[in-house]
Amino acid sequence: MLGFLTARQAGLDDPLRLRRAESTRRVFGLELNPDRDVDRIHGNGINTIDIEAVEGRYMLSGGSDGIIVVYDLENYSGKPQYTCKAVCTVGRSSRYVHKFSVETVQWYPYDTGMFVSSSFDKTMKVWDTETLKPAEVFEFEGNVYSHHLSPIARKHSLIAVGTKYPKVQLCDLKSGSRSHVLQGHRAEVLSVRWSPRYEHILATASADSKVKVWDVRRASGSLLDLDQHKGDKSKASTEAVNTAHNGRVNGLCFTGDGLYILTTGTDDRMRLWNSATGENTLVNYGKVCNESRKKLQFAVSRGCSPEFVFVPCGSSVAVYALHTGELVTMLRGHYNNVDCCEFHPDYQELYSGGKDCNILAWVPVLHASAVEDESNSSNKDAASQPSVNPALQDAWSSDED
Amino acid sequence: MNRKRALISDTFKVKKSRNGPEKFGVVCNGNGPVDVKSSLEYLMTLFPRKLFNDALPTIVLKHQLYSLHNDKTLVDKEVVRWLLSLRKKHILVIVMLCYIVICHVCASQNKLREQAELLMFQLGFDTEAFGLTFISDYKAKVLAGQEGKVTRATVERFLEKLLTSSCTDLSFSKEKMLREFLFTDSEITQLVKSGVLTVRDAGSWWLSIPNSGKFTKYFIQGRKAVLGMVKKSKYSEVLQAELEERRTIAQVKFNMKYHIHDIVGADLVESIPTTSGALLRFVES
Repeated sequence: MLGFLTARQAGLDDPLRLRRAESTRRVFGLELNPDRDVDRIHGNGINTIDIEAVEGRYMLSGGSDGIIVVYDLENYSGKPQYTCKAVCTVGRSSRYVHKFSVETVQWYPYDTGMFVSSSFDKTMKVWDTETLKPAEVFEFEGNVYSHHLSPIARKHSLIAVGTKYPKVQLCDLKSGSRSHVLQGHRAEVLSVRWSPRYEHILATASADSKVKVWDVRRASGSLLDLDQHKGDKSKASTEAVNTAHNGRVNGLCFTGDGLYILTTGTDDRMRLWNSATGENTLVNYGKVCNESRKKLQFAVSRGCSPEFVFVPCGSSVAVYALHTGELVTMLRGHYNNVDCCEFHPDYQELYSGGKDCNILAWVPVLHASAVEDESNSSNKDAASQPSVNPALQDAWSSDED
Repeated sequence: MNRKRALISDTFKVKKSRNGPEKFGVVCNGNGPVDVKSSLEYLMTLFPRKLFNDALPTIVLKHQLYSLHNDKTLVDKEVVRWLLSLRKKHILVIVMLCYIVICHVCASQNKLREQAELLMFQLGFDTEAFGLTFISDYKAKVLAGQEGKVTRATVERFLEKLLTSSCTDLSFSKEKMLREFLFTDSEITQLVKSGVLTVRDAGSWWLSIPNSGKFTKYFIQGRKAVLGMVKKSKYSEVLQAELEERRTIAQVKFNMKYHIHDIVGADLVESIPTTSGALLRFVES
C-alpha cells in the first residue's frame, strides 16, 4: 500500500490507481461488524433493497409483508458503534400500503423526493417521500416481478415493468400513462434492467430461458437474444432457439460501466455477456446455487480493480471476481435465504437482506485496533465512553471558555 | 513493543485470515501455468481399459479437470485450444506473367504445427457433462470395432472428414452432413448404426463413441454409489484419503479416484483443505 502512496506522491501513478487499489483492498476485507447494524423493522422476509444514487445516504427496503422502509445510513454520532435507523415507513397502518409483498423498490435516480415500488398486488406505485402517499398508481393484469427506471435517462422518463405476462410494459412517469409494449418473450418476465451506458437500451430476462436486449425506440422487436453457446448450435440440446440459460433466468445486472451483462439462472450458472455484441464471454463461475422462483437481486462492485460480483447463494453471499470467475469468499451471516444485496460504491460496503428479516451490513475491516488504545481504555473508569477515533476527537475547544 | 499498525504482508490481503490462502494437506499446483495436458494424461491413466475389453477409448470428463486446477475459466480456454487444430494450410500462389505461366506452389508449414489432439462429446446424461478423448485413441478404437463390417468404409470416410475439416462441433445437422460432408441419407443411417452418430433431434445428430452405453451406465451407477458413501458418513463428510482406502462395493466398477475427481469437479461435493488432508463434504442441493 505504501508503494501505491509513494508512487502517487511522486506522480508515477495515475491518481485513479491508488483509489482503485484501496477500494479493492477494502472489498477483500468485507466482514460482519458488530459495530454496524441496521434497524429491524420488517416482520417478514426482505425482497429488495435500493441505495439512492445521489448521496448514498438513504436506503429503501421492501418486504414480503408489503412494508417499505427508508433507512439513514450515515453515521453522524462520532462513535464507531452505529445502528442505521429507519427514517420513515409505509407500514400496515397506512391507507396506501401495498396489499401483498413488495417485489422491487427503486429511488428516483435524480433525488430522494420520490420512489417507485411494485408488488404482487399487481400495482406499481410512485410515492412522494415527504408525505408517503402515492402520487401515481399503475395497474397491471399480472403480478409485477420487477421494474426499473433508467439511471441516466435525460430524454425519456420511462419505467420498464416485468410482469407475469410475457409483454414488457413501458410506463411514462411524466404523463402517468403507459407508453408501449415490448413483445417477444414467451413466459413471465422476471427481471428488467436499463443499461447504465445508453439510455435507450433495456435488457429483460424471462422464465423462458431467454434474455433479450431491446432498444425501446424500436418496438418491432428485440435487438439481440443472448445465446449461451455463442452461435455454436452443436452444443445445445435442440437446434431451435437461443437460450441464455438452461432454466429460468431470474437475475440480471449490468456492470457499472455498462459494458457487460451478468445473468443468473435456475440451472445454477452465472454468465457474463458482452453487452454490445451479446457474446458469451465463457467465464466459468462454477455452480452458483439458485433456487429462486422470483427475481434475484445481485450487485457488482464499482471502482475496484478486479471487479467483484456479490451473488446471494442460499443463506450466504458469494463474492466472485468478475472476469476470472474465481470465488473470492463466501459471506456467511444470515440465518435463512438471502434474497437481495446492494453495494455502496462510496464506502465499499455491502448490504444484504433475506428471509430472516434482517438486513446485514458488511463493512470493510481494515486493521485491528492498536495495543495502546486498549490500555488507555482500561485506565479509565467503568463509566467511560467507548473509545473514540482520535481523528474525531475534539482538539480545538478549550476548557476555559 | 509498540506496534501501531499491523504488518501488511500482501497489498490487498489486509488480514491474514486463519483459514488463509495456504492450503495444507492438499496438493498445490496453482503456481505454474495451467498445465491441462498433463492433468488430462493423469486422468486418462485412471480410466479402466480392461473393463470394456479395450473396445473403448479412454474417456475423461471435462469437469474432472476442475478438481485439479483452481481457475475454471483458464481450464476451459486450454481445452478449447487443444480441440482446435492450429495447422496452417498450404498456401498456393500462382503467378502469371505475360508469356510464361509460372505455378509457384509455396507450401509454408507453420513451425508450431499442432495437431488437433482432443475430441469433445456430449455424453447425454447431463447438459454440462462433456467427455474428452484423444483423437488418435478414438480413431484407432472405432476402426478396430468396425473390422469386417459393411459400414467400415463409410465410418472411415466420416472420421477423415471430421479430422481434416478441424471442426469442433459436438453435433451435426442434416444440411451439414449432406452439403459439407457429402454423405447420402443411407450413409447417415449406416453411421448411426455403427454408433458414431446418435440421434439428437429431428434431423440432427450428436457425435458419439460407439459402445459407450456401458460406460455411461457404469459411470452413473458408480457416481451414485460414491455420493451415497459420502452422504451416509457421519456429518455427510469423509476424508478423501479414507474414501480412497475403502473397499469399493460391487456397484463401483471404476477407480475410486476417477469418481472422486468427477464429484469434486461437478460441485456435488465440496473439497475442504484440513490438516489431515482434503475433506469431502456433501453439498445439499
